[in-house]
Amino acid sequence: MTSLRPFTCDDLFKFNNINLDPLTETYGIPFYLQYLAHWPEYFIVAEAPGGELMGYIMGKAEGSVAREEWHGHVTALSVAPEFRRLGLAAKLMEMLEEISERKGGFFVDLFVRVSNQVAVNMYKRLGYSVYRTVIEYYSASNGEPDEDAYDMRKALSRDTEKKSIIPLPHPVRPEDIE
Amino acid sequence: MAARGHVQDPNDRRLRPIYDYLDNGNNKMAIQQADKLLKKHKDLHCAKVLKAIGLQRTGKQDEAFALAQEVTTLEPTDDNSLQALTILYREMHRPELVTKLYEAAVKKVPLSEEYHSHLFMAYARVGEYKKMQQAGMALYKIVPKNPYYFWSVMSLVMQAISAKDEKLSQTMFLPLAERMVEKMVKEEKIEAEAEVQLYYMILERLGKCEEALEVIRGPLGEKLTSELQSRERKCMALYRRLERWPECNALAQKLLLKNPDDWQFYPSYFDSLFQLMDQSWSPPEEGDHCSEGSVHHTVAEVVRFVEERIKVEDGKDSRSLRGPYLARMELMHRLRERGYPEENLPGEPLALMVEFFRKFGDKPCCITDLKIYLHLLSPEQHVQFINQLSEAVPLGEQGEEGFAFPDDTKSLQRHLCVCQLSRALGLHHSLDVSGKLRLIGELKAHYRHGLKFGSSALKTELQFSDTYCLMAAHVYIDLWTDTGDVDMVWQSLGLLEEGLSHSPSNAQFKLLLLLLYCRLGAFEPVVDLYSSLDAKHIQHDTIGFLLTRYAESLGQFAAASQSCNFSLRFFHSNQKDTSEYIIQAYKYGAFEKIPEFIALRNRLNQSLHFAQVRTERMLLDLFLEADIILSLEESVKAMSLSSEEDDIPWDSLRDNRDLTVFTNWDPKQRQLTDEHRTRSLEEESVWLRIRSLTLRLLASLTASGHTPSQQNSEISNENGVGDKSSLLHSLLSQLNQTLQTAARIAEKQTQYPLLGPPATRLASALSIGSCQCQAAALQLSVHLQELESAGLDESSELQTQICNVFKSLVVQLQEMLNKCKGDLMEMKESKLKTQPSLLENLVFFVETVSIVMWTASYCAKILRPLKTSLQKKKKKKKDANAALPLVVCGFQELTGSLQDLLTQAVEHIRGQESGILALKLSSLSMEGISQEEASFTKAAMDKVQGSYLRSLQEVGDLLKKRAETIKNLKI
Repeated sequence: MTSLRPFTCDDLFKFNNINLDPLTETYGIPFYLQYLAHWPEYFIVAEAPGGELMGYIMGKAEGSVAREEWHGHVTALSVAPEFRRLGLAAKLMEMLEEISERKGGFFVDLFVRVSNQVAVNMYKRLGYSVYRTVIEYYSASNGEPDEDAYDMRKALSRDTEKKSIIPLPHPVRPEDIE
Repeated sequence: MAARGHVQDPNDRRLRPIYDYLDNGNNKMAIQQADKLLKKHKDLHCAKVLKAIGLQRTGKQDEAFALAQEVTTLEPTDDNSLQALTILYREMHRPELVTKLYEAAVKKVPLSEEYHSHLFMAYARVGEYKKMQQAGMALYKIVPKNPYYFWSVMSLVMQAISAKDEKLSQTMFLPLAERMVEKMVKEEKIEAEAEVQLYYMILERLGKCEEALEVIRGPLGEKLTSELQSRERKCMALYRRLERWPECNALAQKLLLKNPDDWQFYPSYFDSLFQLMDQSWSPPEEGDHCSEGSVHHTVAEVVRFVEERIKVEDGKDSRSLRGPYLARMELMHRLRERGYPEENLPGEPLALMVEFFRKFGDKPCCITDLKIYLHLLSPEQHVQFINQLSEAVPLGEQGEEGFAFPDDTKSLQRHLCVCQLSRALGLHHSLDVSGKLRLIGELKAHYRHGLKFGSSALKTELQFSDTYCLMAAHVYIDLWTDTGDVDMVWQSLGLLEEGLSHSPSNAQFKLLLLLLYCRLGAFEPVVDLYSSLDAKHIQHDTIGFLLTRYAESLGQFAAASQSCNFSLRFFHSNQKDTSEYIIQAYKYGAFEKIPEFIALRNRLNQSLHFAQVRTERMLLDLFLEADIILSLEESVKAMSLSSEEDDIPWDSLRDNRDLTVFTNWDPKQRQLTDEHRTRSLEEESVWLRIRSLTLRLLASLTASGHTPSQQNSEISNENGVGDKSSLLHSLLSQLNQTLQTAARIAEKQTQYPLLGPPATRLASALSIGSCQCQAAALQLSVHLQELESAGLDESSELQTQICNVFKSLVVQLQEMLNKCKGDLMEMKESKLKTQPSLLENLVFFVETVSIVMWTASYCAKILRPLKTSLQKKKKKKKDANAALPLVVCGFQELTGSLQDLLTQAVEHIRGQESGILALKLSSLSMEGISQEEASFTKAAMDKVQGSYLRSLQEVGDLLKKRAETIKNLKI
């Protein structure tokens, strides 16, 4: 049981149970405001009946339509530990995909740590496939090596031939992605 | 740097290297290059501005500002200069100057879309709504693009929102905005979704719900496509406001059919049912029930609807949704509240909850779902309920210890849920000591058994059985608070440390460890724990209090400064950051977000925590400065601290602390209440006021703590003195009043739940007498000012009075120091005992001694010239043998006593240090726990021991530094 509603600034004060997760980044205020100003419809929060925040998705639409690269992007998706295994992430992804469909996107993409097997498998179940590997996309702060990311994609209905998800043969460097 | 004008411009080529230097942070080279260029091209204004940017970034603000003003007065109209000046003024935090810049530019180039648009944004940055409205219209007249028109409309809405007079909003700004939009609607010029959103915002604020509904449901509403269910949600809100319950009911039904898990529509569905029942509503004889379709206006219909949803879920092969099952309990709860006959309820609460558990007991959120409805059970049913649930938990064979364990993670989760529910029903709390110890044993066994399911977990993942560990720690804490047995808290710490070793990312382990260490007076381990939480940005505001509440009061001053700095850095960037996104919201037409962003900015600026760290950071700086005489003056100047100014928004302080960050399964009567929250905020505010007044009074002891009255003229000097003394009186009387309020608050002895807000230092500060002594010391400055004007000759009464205060200060300090004596940590009856309050008292003593010494130094400053002039007089009279004036003797006694007090304190600390070092923790026998557990517990003890030593050292060092400067107080 979940209320899905637009994320608001006041939610920033209540999302600790979601963001104290080690793989969930807490960004500076500007980062959230940029998304709220530009793509408010893509920033959705799930709330439990008792008022606890359960999880949220933050995304955007970008890319050139002419080059058939106009797409929805998942910037952050996180669910608090106690609300996992309810299919909530899948529901939030479904919503982001629907918004992207409405905007006429060709595909939806996202980046995920190659080590984050739980997430990679979940995205695979949701129909995403690895489009390319981005070398050392995640910079580590504590002296550990930087980590690679998978750029995973799922074609939307506008991409009838599913051209957007044909995997690239070679990994790319972060500076080569748009 | 951003756009650089036209490509062909030769100036661009000349300026490029400077831009590059600036971009690369090479400010010195940028300045040099600009100078070189300016030698050849004197009138290349932009080069001057770029030089100014370089100067600004190398800390030469004044030079930079002068140079920028030079160019500004020329009213430049070239893109390069304008952009560079905009950047510079923003970096200088002078956004208002940008508006002047573009006002001049549009006057000279009245048809420039670009400059007009920059002007609009410049106004937006400083919140000049009326001027924005005009600038938007001016833009629209030059280039009739819709967004410009609606910028102007939105600026009217902002005038309405910010107007102090609600009537003005309702009768002028909003109606005007409405007419502006209506005009576009009539002319069929509405293009974008944002424009409809804005129209809706206006109508809603005007309370014109019927009109708003018409817009949303009509053709304009069709433009609302980006946000999912935007139209539906808006309609629902309007139906509720209009009390159109049939429509509300019918729409809720439709939406629930579509997504029976969407909680937000169940309340509307149920509310509307009861409203319709109360109105004895009945459907029309023919035709639709209402414009949204058919209406459920009887309990039977609604029950049937919910049960049908449940049937659908029951019949599904895939995952069932919790929504309908929870909705049934919610309905039950509401029916009961209305006094609906028990026999007609759609089922029996106990059975429904057991059924819910059977279906969803293996989900971690089952407890969160069920705990809302536990009140549906009667107290007699509690045990029966838990027994029935336990039967639905498949466990394996009983082992040696008498415990049966789950065979898979789903059973584990079910078993865990039963434990959580037992705790939430108060069944843990009602156990006696041995029952609780047995429970702990069981939870620990389950915890360790469950680790096998996560043997391959990554270190970023939690262990399936972590919650057992956390709960066992909670039961230990129950025992600790109930019986005062310190071993319970040691074992709790040990267990949590053990848990963290298996599950290094568990934030709840870290939070609870952090809290317990603080409660034991040990701040040192907290630093690493908190930093491993990786709390950043807004989290400094929401959970930063966990650090700042304890660091200073536990004598870890360096860490305290650092914690304040983390938070301050975040708050200071907020003002500039939010403005930029308000502008972006205009650009992208996210009009709804604009008031939201402004509210966020205010919420952060008015944050209680912000005001606290601002104040405490300055106090800390003062306390930590070693040199009493010089540094107070200099520090006050460096902090631009002024006794006149109060920058704390007392009436609008916002408590942004996340007080529910700790996981907690306590029964309702033990949970944090709104009353606790109110009391905590009240207590925090009063404590903050005491600290802030103390700070301002300290500033008033210095010359630079007074901003005005620095002129040379005789008259203004006199005024200055007058102002100073009346300000002093006012601050002191505020302090006294606040102390009275504080005493009343302390009397209440509010007990917060352990996992709720920590109490402030207020009660201890009063009970040790630190506030009173500080106030008495600060009060002294009034008498000293009187003495300054009266002189030493004819002021014996005043001098006696002052001497009495001196004596009383010494007595008070001695009493405080006595309350620091005792053993911070000791071994007694094979238990390791601690008295963290002794450490806190020691810190109060240090703070108070510092304040007394500052007033003493102020005293010395006043007495010295008086004494000198007296000696001169005496020399003339050849009366050198006469006795010293009373106040001088008294002062010498004071400094002597202070010296003595400091020596005592330092000796006490030395004694504590050697006592703690001599403790043989290894000799503690740890009965009843395994060797492995004992090692974690010992590790926790070591941390506390180490932390005490560090605190003692920091406090001792500070006292020693203070002692060294006493000799400077001689007169």
